[in-house]
Amino acid sequence: MKTPTGNQLTTDLLRPLERTSWRFYLLSAFLGCFVVAGLSAWFYQMYWGFGVTGLLSPIFWGFFITDFVFWIGISHAGTLISAILRLVNAGWRRPVTRCAEVITAFALMIGGLFPIIHLGRPWLFFWLLPYPSRRLIWPNFRSPLVWDFFAITGYLTGSLLFLFLPMIPDFAIVRDRSTGLRKKIYGVLALGWRGTTSQWHRLESAMQIMAVAIIPVAVSVHTIVSFDFSMAPVPMWHSTIFGPYFVAGAIFSGIAGLIIAMAVLRKTLHLQDYLHPVHFENLGKLLLTMSLLWGYFVFNERLATWYGNDPAEMAVFRVTQSGSFAPLFWTMVICNFLLPVIILGIRRTRTIAGCVIASFGVCVGMWLERFLIVVPTLGHKYLPFTWASYRPRPTEIIITTATFAAMVLLYTLFAKFVPIIAIWEMKAGEHPSPDMTPQATAEHRLGDMHA
Amino acid sequence: MAHKWGMAVDLDRCDGCGACVTACHAENNIPTVGDLQAARGRAMHWIRVERYFEGEFPDVRVKFRPVMCQQCDAAPCEPVCPTYASNHTEEGLNAQVYNRCIGTRYCANACPYNVRFFDFFNPSWAKPLHLQLNPDVSIREVGVMEKCTFCVQRISAGKISAAAEKRELKDGDIKPACAQACPAKAIVFGDLNDPESEVSRLARSPHGTKLLEDVGARPNVTYLERQTKA
Amino acid sequence: MKAIYALYSAGQDAQRAVNGLRQAGVGDDQITVITVAPMEDFEFSHIGSKNRQWYAACAGGLVGLLFGTWLTRFTELDWPLNTGGMPIVAWWPNLIIMFELTMLGAIVANVGTLLVGAGLLRRRPVLHDPEVSNGKILVGVENPSEANRPALERALSVGTDFQLKTL
Repeated sequence: MKTPTGNQLTTDLLRPLERTSWRFYLLSAFLGCFVVAGLSAWFYQMYWGFGVTGLLSPIFWGFFITDFVFWIGISHAGTLISAILRLVNAGWRRPVTRCAEVITAFALMIGGLFPIIHLGRPWLFFWLLPYPSRRLIWPNFRSPLVWDFFAITGYLTGSLLFLFLPMIPDFAIVRDRSTGLRKKIYGVLALGWRGTTSQWHRLESAMQIMAVAIIPVAVSVHTIVSFDFSMAPVPMWHSTIFGPYFVAGAIFSGIAGLIIAMAVLRKTLHLQDYLHPVHFENLGKLLLTMSLLWGYFVFNERLATWYGNDPAEMAVFRVTQSGSFAPLFWTMVICNFLLPVIILGIRRTRTIAGCVIASFGVCVGMWLERFLIVVPTLGHKYLPFTWASYRPRPTEIIITTATFAAMVLLYTLFAKFVPIIAIWEMKAGEHPSPDMTPQATAEHRLGDMHA
Repeated sequence: MAHKWGMAVDLDRCDGCGACVTACHAENNIPTVGDLQAARGRAMHWIRVERYFEGEFPDVRVKFRPVMCQQCDAAPCEPVCPTYASNHTEEGLNAQVYNRCIGTRYCANACPYNVRFFDFFNPSWAKPLHLQLNPDVSIREVGVMEKCTFCVQRISAGKISAAAEKRELKDGDIKPACAQACPAKAIVFGDLNDPESEVSRLARSPHGTKLLEDVGARPNVTYLERQTKA
Repeated sequence: MKAIYALYSAGQDAQRAVNGLRQAGVGDDQITVITVAPMEDFEFSHIGSKNRQWYAACAGGLVGLLFGTWLTRFTELDWPLNTGGMPIVAWWPNLIIMFELTMLGAIVANVGTLLVGAGLLRRRPVLHDPEVSNGKILVGVENPSEANRPALERALSVGTDFQLKTL
């Protein structure tokens, strides 16, 4: 399957910007309703107090923290695909990078809202910022929540820039091909970009640096999110495995989210010529690897807990494995491990549809995994007299649903205004006749390596 | 030497009557949340009486344990608070500063004893119960955490009285509401840095244990009970 | 004349034009080549390849590290509060903040240097043609001397489908 080149490529990838069907408006309105419902639920909660949720003593974290960790996890898609594949010069990344980076940016924005949503007094969230205040007090840098604030701010800044920088040349293309108001707006967005060789080299260096910088930041972000749990000396939270476990889980759920996004885009924007089955196969293999890695981490954590047989830890262990949380636990194992390994391990089923089914399963399973980390422990700490059970109430369910709708809505709007496949990156991957192609050199970074 | 406040609770004297709970509510302006919210698990008992059943019928024993904030030396709730709302005073108390609290509830999750409570709604007292409110204790608004303070308002009042009378604080001058109300005198409060105080004596008792000592939070409440099976 | 340039469809033609300009005495720093995508298969893409992005990023990282170290230490000592018996200046948690601010410094310095160094904040210079976005390669010289004009026109007249323009 040959990818179109030249002007055909430009026209194809700019078509969503230039033509809008009624389906776009309908979808946006539909999703917008959910988002409005979510915002209403949040204001209701802020007005009446947190009592409108299902939280109780001692389960003080529930759906919102689950959602927080889930969305920050999804945001690790862009980093892995874009940054790592860019650094190792994998050519198949070209149509995929912007799809992935967009997921990161929006998932981070949504995930970053949850620390504010889950506050008892959210209007005071800015006290986490270290500014000289008349209260004569600073944030407590020993608190994992302050680490969260810095890490997520840094990662959000980095991801937005990582997304925006390679959009500049594409904005210039749109600018050059439009007229009137659109030309003005995209002209402003394209800044002073012309496409001189000097600009390309600087952009390439900047992207390399961003890729090198964003990977450790991404790893640190989800490690720090895991520290929200592992710094508390309560059963099955105070585990040193949480750092790597969460990062692996984040990359896992991120790839699943990316596969789903790509499959939907391929269908709705008619990108069959650009997103080939081999792209899904490659991502499917990555998803399989991460599924096996996830299984390895879960086995490690649970074996050490079971073998250690600490009474408090075993109480939590049992309630997830065979107690009231068992249905959720085993659903998670099937969705995160059995289903992906079978579907993605057999070549015949590693099709686009197979990858999407596995990915949906992984999204469900990973959400359940976050839930099963937060709630069983809080409901079964050391003193059995205080054990309790949690049931979410409409406020939490509406807000959670609204975030999924918001993600799809933001993505839809983005694909309407920016080409979802980077035009210049696709062109940079094209090569003229073989006799002109020089041997690969150390500087030959924007193109592919040749034998 | 600075004071270090601690408590001792004699579990053999405690009969689970709950007077300490009631007194605490009255002294510290803790709202009753109503039957619906209590059923939903939002009751805020800064001191609670835990009740455990041991043995098989007909040899059933009921054990009562009043549990309040243990004012731990290495409190896990303190480092995790992003705004320093939970911190340690020089007199060994774990302070909860309501004005700094933004309600992340991490402190409650980190507490091994589950003694921290969250204001799920704004408190209300149906008239004429509002006349009973203690003017020495602030009312907490929705969204902040609260917990047992060892009746810090009584500690301050005791210290101020002693200073005004130009004398030293004596053991027994300060009594938190729970200690004052207990009919069995099961709860003892005092200065652990004073080796002659009753609480220091009881803390050194061979019958004394700490709750969840192996978690390592170094609590300052000693529980006393006979170590026999009878 | 503000600029003289030509548009080509094929990279080989553009390369010959650049070589021709060099033979006509134009230095590399005066030759402008504009493409819709980087064309690293061709030698002309190496013009203007030197830049200081990495140095700027490292400098930004250093600034971030110093700021993070100062911020954590200063604020912890400014209003010292005992939390859980931890030291007042707690290095283990401080390292996390220091790391995040180092990376943020590097990222911001990197982007800032790009914006300034690539001229992205200036009003766009004169030499640009929208045809570039349709795949044409632009090779030209800005602010040439009138005397040089015939030599430049000759150097740029390469291949069969070139378009010679002046501004």
